[in-house]
Amino acid sequence: MYYVDSCVTLRCSPDTSGRTFWESQGAVELMQDRLRVPSDYCVALRDAARRRAERKREGTPSRSLPRFLPVLPRFTVTLPSSSFQALSRSFVHDGITSKMDDIDAMFSDLLGEMDALTQSLGAETGEPEPPKALEIPYNEVNFSIGFADVNESLNELEDNDLDALMADLVAEINAAEETMTTTGKGGAAQPHSDPKGLPRPPPASGHSAASAAPQPAPSSLPRVPDSVGAAKVPSFTPVEPPPKQLIPEDTEAQAKADKIKLALEKLKEAKVKKLVVKVNMNDGSSKTLMVDERQTVREVLDNLFEKTHCDCSVDWCLIETNPELNIERGFEDHENLVEPLSAWTRDSENKIFFLERIDKYAVFKNPQNFYLWKKDKKSLKDMKDKDKELLLQENFCGTSIIVPDLEGALHLKEDGKKSWKQRYFLLRASGIYYVPKGKTKTSRDLVCFVQFDNVNVYYGKELKSKYKAPTDFCFVLKHPQIQKESQYIKYLCCDDAWMMTLWVTGIRIAKYGLTLYNNYKTAVSKGAASSFFTNHAATTTTTSTPVSSKAPVNRHKMFFLWLPKDHCDPSLLPPPPPDPTLPPPPPPPPPPPTSAAKKDFAAQPASFPPPPDSFPSMNFPPPPEADFLPPPPPPDHLLEQPPDFLPPPPPAAAAGGPPPPPPPPPPPPAAADPAAVPTLKKVSVAPSPRPAPPAAAPAGGDFMSELMVAMQKKRRAQ
Amino acid sequence: MAVWDLTVTVEELGLEAPPLTISVTSDLHIGGVILKIVEKTQIKKDWSDHALWWEQKQQWVLRPAWTLDKCGIHADARLTFTPQHKPLRLGLPNGMTVKLRACFSGPVFHTVVGICKLLNIRHPEELSLLRPVEEKKKKKDKDAQEEVYDLTGVPLTSGSVPSLYNGMPAHFADSPQTEAVYKMLSVSQPPPTPEVIAKMYRPASVVDKAHIHSRWLDSSRSLMQQGVQENDRLWLRFKYYTFHDLEPKYDVVRLTQLYEQARWAILLEDIDCTEEEMMLFGALQYHISKVSQSEPQAVTSCPAMDDLDSALQSLEVKMEGETSSMDMLETMTTAPELHDYLKIFRPKRLTLKGYKQYWFVFKDTSISYFKSKEEGYGEPIQKMDLKGCEVAGDVNVAGQKFCIRLLIPSPEGMNEVYLRCENEQQYSRWMAACRLAAKGKNLADSSFSSEVENIQAFLSMQRSNPGTASTQADENINTHSLVSPRYQKKYKPKQLTPRILEAYQNVAQLSLMDAILRFLQIWQALPDFGISFFVVRFKGSRKDEVLGIAHNRLIRIDLGVGDVVKTWRYNNMRQWNVNWDIRQVAIEFDGNVNIAFSCVTADCKIVHEYIGGYIFMSTRSREQSDTLNEELFHKLTGGHEAL
Repeated sequence: MYYVDSCVTLRCSPDTSGRTFWESQGAVELMQDRLRVPSDYCVALRDAARRRAERKREGTPSRSLPRFLPVLPRFTVTLPSSSFQALSRSFVHDGITSKMDDIDAMFSDLLGEMDALTQSLGAETGEPEPPKALEIPYNEVNFSIGFADVNESLNELEDNDLDALMADLVAEINAAEETMTTTGKGGAAQPHSDPKGLPRPPPASGHSAASAAPQPAPSSLPRVPDSVGAAKVPSFTPVEPPPKQLIPEDTEAQAKADKIKLALEKLKEAKVKKLVVKVNMNDGSSKTLMVDERQTVREVLDNLFEKTHCDCSVDWCLIETNPELNIERGFEDHENLVEPLSAWTRDSENKIFFLERIDKYAVFKNPQNFYLWKKDKKSLKDMKDKDKELLLQENFCGTSIIVPDLEGALHLKEDGKKSWKQRYFLLRASGIYYVPKGKTKTSRDLVCFVQFDNVNVYYGKELKSKYKAPTDFCFVLKHPQIQKESQYIKYLCCDDAWMMTLWVTGIRIAKYGLTLYNNYKTAVSKGAASSFFTNHAATTTTTSTPVSSKAPVNRHKMFFLWLPKDHCDPSLLPPPPPDPTLPPPPPPPPPPPTSAAKKDFAAQPASFPPPPDSFPSMNFPPPPEADFLPPPPPPDHLLEQPPDFLPPPPPAAAAGGPPPPPPPPPPPPAAADPAAVPTLKKVSVAPSPRPAPPAAAPAGGDFMSELMVAMQKKRRAQ
Repeated sequence: MAVWDLTVTVEELGLEAPPLTISVTSDLHIGGVILKIVEKTQIKKDWSDHALWWEQKQQWVLRPAWTLDKCGIHADARLTFTPQHKPLRLGLPNGMTVKLRACFSGPVFHTVVGICKLLNIRHPEELSLLRPVEEKKKKKDKDAQEEVYDLTGVPLTSGSVPSLYNGMPAHFADSPQTEAVYKMLSVSQPPPTPEVIAKMYRPASVVDKAHIHSRWLDSSRSLMQQGVQENDRLWLRFKYYTFHDLEPKYDVVRLTQLYEQARWAILLEDIDCTEEEMMLFGALQYHISKVSQSEPQAVTSCPAMDDLDSALQSLEVKMEGETSSMDMLETMTTAPELHDYLKIFRPKRLTLKGYKQYWFVFKDTSISYFKSKEEGYGEPIQKMDLKGCEVAGDVNVAGQKFCIRLLIPSPEGMNEVYLRCENEQQYSRWMAACRLAAKGKNLADSSFSSEVENIQAFLSMQRSNPGTASTQADENINTHSLVSPRYQKKYKPKQLTPRILEAYQNVAQLSLMDAILRFLQIWQALPDFGISFFVVRFKGSRKDEVLGIAHNRLIRIDLGVGDVVKTWRYNNMRQWNVNWDIRQVAIEFDGNVNIAFSCVTADCKIVHEYIGGYIFMSTRSREQSDTLNEELFHKLTGGHEAL
């Protein structure tokens, strides 16, 4: 796991010295050393003045100091310079006409400065390390990662991780551009919104995505569209100038104000913290993703669902482990992931796991086991669904949330003492209490043991051997920021595993209340939506796809997993997540023959051959991913990505990690795969066709070949 | 048919006047009898509310079409011709008394519906009437007449939904007096003085609590039938603890009264809570009384004004949106700071270092300190981020001690830090900043100034409390009036104030309604909430036990120890019966579980009604929340009399 408290923006320019970002790790440490930046150094742009003072004190030439940027300003992740232009040009389409150059200038200023910084950085580091296997064939890459850990993290990062990460980043850019182009188009549709008649930016999108991680792991390529990074589109879109702005006389002041606003938004945006998170899977593999400060665990889980193509059951859980304390905790779906991760120390051995945990939502599946736990087990087992529903109603849907009536003798270790002592504890909505010696358990005699505002509950692991706990069924209460042994950690030990589950669940209910139930409902609806599509797929393709099998990857299932996002009946889906993190539309697959398309192209054949019966048994080769699904008869000008593009072959040095899925099959000729096409047609609803000037495709192709050439040249140079 | 004389007392003729005698035949219907009486009195007035009350049988003769014969009325019957609606002194949950005209002829359930309509309380099925606890009145207290709010002049409207005028139901807007009544109903009362609390009756044991429930009136019989006379005193209380569809917009009176009932239940230790919970209840009470005194009620309760308010607010938001770039600029460039010389003390093992003075700067959510002001631009000696930390005050106004205790989390544990301020002003600003920072907010947050004010208000409370002279009704509240006598005894006000203040910081930003709702939520989350106790004797058992009736279950409780012996849930209940002859309740649950008990402290009708009532409550659903199925209620609660 690597995390970013703050970040440094570096630029790698392969054309100057052949150094890439990855090589300048040493420099980062040096920088950190020299600046003596405190751990919470996240220095924002606006502190520039103060920093200048610092520089003077340090006696370093002002230019040679790296500039610390708040994490990853979105627009500095510009990749090919053409896309940057595209981006800025699309602003023009949006109506900021006259002084766009100002912002451009601002951006380029920023970039220039970084450029200078990186160069001086290079000078300071002295001899760059020999480049690693990975090279990034960009003209210009501004990439950010926390330098606190950058050394370890980069060393640990395996190539495929980097690839996946890059794919994410690139996808983000793509998505951004995509919105740009669409908004640009929207603007053009208005009568006089395109005063200068600027050409629409070339939609380079798909190609840079393809170019992002072409070499070691082609596996990441098909996933680009639905990866995490792509989720940040909306931040680019809000530029919707009022119509009056288009009248030239008014524009000046307005435009200026807008630009200030835009710039400020950007700056604000730039403050958004991001982490690169390595998530460990059940099978020992791992996935690396970028998590933005605003993303909830739920959204990250959804991303992981898409990445892993698991069954989307509600039990999937992100778990934080702390090996130093032998504890672990499943994050709640509503939590922001970045926050707890920020509490990790630099040398932390903590890890994040993506696992199924039955007890995550067990209370909602079988509330009787928690709320009526005192009753005999047999009667609880046969509880009717109606009665379960009633229990949930009573405890979660009233004016007040009722916590399970939980009490019993537990062993306690606290205040850093070594001994365990037994006390009689009771759970109440307001906290955990115990019965003091010689008193009864009436409310007024109870002594408050802990309240839940500032503590989280963790499962203890093997504390019997570590702390001589009476049993191994321990749970732990501590402030989330405490990472090491401390007297402020409270250890409680139960007689058996079930009591431990009861207590942990009870505490979670007391702490989170209704939020927990809402999380569950969201999780269920997500699961239902995806299984609906699986089922739906099954029916339309006359197969019987198992819905809840834990089978690792079911390729024709996963194909449906990302579809519901945009294409299914909204009523079946949970409400979309808050805007800024809204998952982007996957880069439109070649538009299926939907109603909208039909309107335009009535000439298309209206029906397709029925799915062959052989489909269910078809495991290999898998049906092509949506990206490669050709439209039955592809209308030329809608086809924006040349379907015949193939990524370069993977290099020999493919590192470990997740077994690469089979290479993408060669794109079948139109209607060559009758199985997938009708399915797609049934499930999906028209995605608004992205505007794509016919010229784009060849241009993209050229770009790709250029990249290839550049890469080969580079390899030779080494 | 034979003509015979019927004697009828008519109150309107005066108490001394002899009863009227009218000649009737057995086949004369009641309407005819009434007509004859009215003619005979020769008084011109509206007699429409009058009906005949049959004294020996203790029942109303209400069917005008029935003949005397059919009613069984003979010449020996002593009838009274009397109004069906009579004034009643009603003790409300908030302790106030209101005098109003209630129906004495219909079943109590019906009477309560009428009362609640008048008082503008929705879901009257949750309330009922009970006989008050006799107050041990000493002679000298007699002259302290209680204030009675009079609503007898208000006509009972038959319209289903009272129309609103000026934020209150139209029938309250008639005169300043009735407006005052509405204010009393809809605004929570200021905290009672500790003496008042101490003087009031408190149930000491579960048996005492059980006795309260023997006072409920029978919902299926009329007030007159139960011996309630004109101008008698009754209590109106929430009886069933399932509050359907609480809606702050419509339920101002209902929520206020519910809050009052809950507050008194806690102050009088009717329901037990822990010390921490009591402090939170205290803090909420303080907040509610403070906000309700400062907030003009009419505005908050008036929907029209609400609309206007929200419109204004959205307008404001819009305006803000327009200027947001400037705001953004401001927040990004000029983040507010606090800086002062303060003293710091970090307790460590084996060191007895005292407070040391440094130059402190509070910025964003962290505190940095420097050797001196001059070095304030350099590297701080230490920087502490307060996010997620625990903040507590340690203040003694008289001793001029203003300390802030911080427990700052770090990976290694919690760091304890004390900051000592010079004076109240400084303390309240730094304290407020620490509190906001603990929640992750910075000084630019809009709640900063109100937080400062709150802290100052609390400090001034502490200042005025130790003095004995300040018991008179000044604006400050004695914290002793926010907690039950148990804690009044346990803590002095100056010990209590910081604890309540600590709890208060979590609720200080709540609006009035939110605070009331929070109070009710915490009340409802108490383990003993909503359990009505009865002492019963189970069949086959030789000793008295306690039966607790809650909204979803029956609880068998050991009388001596207070432990729960067994619980049965209603949804496992097959049927329940009452053997009215031997006064025994028998209940059958799924799985052939049968229980039977006789009631010791209360009539078994009350127990029966409680169980039936809760089952009735559970049949209510959101969709049909407006229509009250009175018939079903009587079917479930009435017993043999209703059938």
